[in-house]
Amino acid sequence: MATRVEPKTAVGQALPPLVKDVSQRRIDAYSGVKPRSIHSDEAWARQKGFRACLAQGMMSTAYVSQLMVNLLGPGFARGGTLSMAFIKPVYAGDRLTAHGVVKDRQSENGATRVVVEVWVENQHGEKTAVGHATGLVS
Amino acid sequence: MAGPRLTEFKKLTLETVQVGDEFVSDDHLVIPEDIEAHGFAVEDDHPWLAEGVAPPTLMANQALHLRHSKYIVHAGLHARMEFSFVEPIKLGMRVRTRGKVIDKYERRGKPYMVTEYVTEDDAGRVLVRGQFTQMIIPEPEAPHGHAR
Repeated sequence: MATRVEPKTAVGQALPPLVKDVSQRRIDAYSGVKPRSIHSDEAWARQKGFRACLAQGMMSTAYVSQLMVNLLGPGFARGGTLSMAFIKPVYAGDRLTAHGVVKDRQSENGATRVVVEVWVENQHGEKTAVGHATGLVS
Repeated sequence: MAGPRLTEFKKLTLETVQVGDEFVSDDHLVIPEDIEAHGFAVEDDHPWLAEGVAPPTLMANQALHLRHSKYIVHAGLHARMEFSFVEPIKLGMRVRTRGKVIDKYERRGKPYMVTEYVTEDDAGRVLVRGQFTQMIIPEPEAPHGHAR
């Protein structure tokens, strides 16, 4: 019997992108405010050669997690995976967009594992993080 | 009479960090403010609190900060992160992350360390596991504080 393919998890399907404004306040809430930190001390960040405070790469994993929860719900929180490489700095004031495209569907113990290529890009269209995520559809 | 056992902190370098080094975080009680702050930080309006469940990556920084429990970290860059979400983290759980350095290497003149980790509840049930790669930036030329 053929497995029914949910339209939103069909191979080639693009996930609805998520747009995020990475403000200093949000970075502070994520990373905490500390002296001599390039996340929260702008003077220190400039001293170290950055044009502004940097967001933690981990914030981008949270954005991609949201993409996957939107797609799969509990099938990501239990049984999901996420792997990302952080390839370009993200600065306070950047606007990021998290993207995903379904690349594969694999049978796994009576369920289907959906494999999604994911990436995050900044307002200049530069990729800041790339990777893949998977989750289960029962 | 013996005094309290104190942790001896070393400066983190490719030489001081050892493959096999083990880390453990403090216990953390997952409270509503954690989920609210995370939601604000990453603009996540999913009704996690109403569901009594935390966003899957909520405790990621507990893993990332493991090396600070043994080393003085001048600076670092987070290069790669992997998660396997085994069971959802729930509101009211006490969670702890353990880690072990599984590799260290130099690439293009930059030192890196790789740590595997597991986040568990207080009954020892595995919630999240994975590994991450961090660049070690020793004093003095490095930017301070990334991933701190």
